[in-house]
Amino acid sequence: MDSLLSFVAEPLAYGFMQRALLMSVLIAVVCSIFSCFLILKGWSLMGDAVSHAVLPGLAVAVVIGIPLAIGALIAGLFCAVATGYIKENSRVKEDAVMGIMFSGMFALGLVLLTKIETDIHLLHVLFGSVLGITNADLIEAGSIAILCSAIMLIKRKDLILYCFDPAHASVIGLPVRLLHFGLLILLALTIVSSLKAAGIVLVIAMLIAPGAIGFILVRSFDRMLMVALSVSVFSCIVGTIVSFHLDAATAPLIVVIQACFFVLAMIFGKRRDTAKGLLNAT
Amino acid sequence: MMELALEPFAYNYMVKAIWVSALVGGVCAFLSAYLMLKGWSLMGDALAHSIVPGVVLSYALALPFAIGAFFAGMLAALSMAIVKQRTRLREDAVIGLIFTAFFAAGLLMVSINPTAVNIQAIIFGNILAISDQDINQVVIISVGCLIVLCVKWKDLMAVFFDENHARSIGLRVTALKVLFFTLLSAACVAALQTVGAILVIAMVVTPGATAYLLTDKFDRLIVIAVLLGSVTSGVGAYASFFLDANPGGLIVTLQTLIFLSVFLFAPKYGFFKRRAAANG
Repeated sequence: MDSLLSFVAEPLAYGFMQRALLMSVLIAVVCSIFSCFLILKGWSLMGDAVSHAVLPGLAVAVVIGIPLAIGALIAGLFCAVATGYIKENSRVKEDAVMGIMFSGMFALGLVLLTKIETDIHLLHVLFGSVLGITNADLIEAGSIAILCSAIMLIKRKDLILYCFDPAHASVIGLPVRLLHFGLLILLALTIVSSLKAAGIVLVIAMLIAPGAIGFILVRSFDRMLMVALSVSVFSCIVGTIVSFHLDAATAPLIVVIQACFFVLAMIFGKRRDTAKGLLNAT
Repeated sequence: MMELALEPFAYNYMVKAIWVSALVGGVCAFLSAYLMLKGWSLMGDALAHSIVPGVVLSYALALPFAIGAFFAGMLAALSMAIVKQRTRLREDAVIGLIFTAFFAAGLLMVSINPTAVNIQAIIFGNILAISDQDINQVVIISVGCLIVLCVKWKDLMAVFFDENHARSIGLRVTALKVLFFTLLSAACVAALQTVGAILVIAMVVTPGATAYLLTDKFDRLIVIAVLLGSVTSGVGAYASFFLDANPGGLIVTLQTLIFLSVFLFAPKYGFFKRRAAANG
């Protein structure tokens, strides 16, 4: 018991570890809440696309001197909107357009970041650097994360209905366009808040795995939310502390722990698999 | 002027980078013609990320990278099939879940054993500093894929357009699909070396989608896609000499710009043409 206590307490003696832990719990919360909607809406590729597309936004933000978060947000939204527009106006399928747009924007960002003078470290943007979080980062990302989580929890009934059945949502008078763009903006904000800690590539895992685990284990949306939240927060705490002892990269370890939970959930949650769906429970 | 333009060709590594990129770009573009018709773009992305742990492991063990990549790819495909069968998750979620988990496992391995492999080379490609041994693997993979594609392109086309019809004329549909995915994984392994894991998706989607806006005939579509893929890849590698930027980034930026111009100005399916047609 003593050794377990010191296993946990030793890392927390360092300021950077305290900040890392707080940060990873914050993004665990916001990502796991969003992941429940993402799974229901079938937006996994959208999460992939928006997160990669923020890269040129960071580069441009550095050049014109605006906050990185704003540049990232605009670039992420631009990718989503441009994908929709090109799909509407050409005969290419949506997934292909999305793949083209996000890889193109990522490539542009890559070229820009190698050409301009910045203190942005490319590998940190891609894979996160939760151990290098400053207090300012924590306040910025933390306030975005808390704001997004609060909006999603308060508006969850409307968002659920929109994810399940946009046509029905529209019939009963919900502002469907507003919900669509609201969800997109929430996705982009969630990704922006997680950039420092998880990075562009691994945030996709944080946005899919918790919701998927909840989805295969329970039937009602609120319970799914609870499962996703607990798994995500627990994985982030364990991942952060263990990565300190193993001297391993934090964000990849968190993702691998979540994947292990998914495997466990799949093995032990099989019997409930015949559930018809979550719609009745909402 | 001419001298300046020819300068890259004086360097052996540049010549290699240009022709290897063009070869790989052509093979990926060939596959992209099929991939984008089916709505399987996410598959290309997933394969490219899933092979990363295999590549890391084979560099750590001093094996040919293609072997590790192949096994990791197979393992990922198998995991996807199992998860899909055992849960009621949507297919896109299953794919996203598996490939990010594999990719994270690869990164974790690099962080624990950082000396074995240069992570930047895997993520952003390494075509300017590629070793001769790696070139051999890339060339064997690409030429092999190209030969199989040239022999089987009509059968694959039949399967992709209409499975029932393909079955009725006596084609082995499942075997051809497995063949296609094997070719796709092989091409992703090769493309990993030129543009890196993250940008492989563009190589196996963009040229095909661009060509799709230019023609209605599938054989022409393949020719246009392959030309686009290899020319953009060669030019991107060439331009990296002058711009001093990542070749993978330049190749994909170029491909995307061409797609966007074709989207706007294509003679029959372009944005302006459609708009003019809609206005009477």
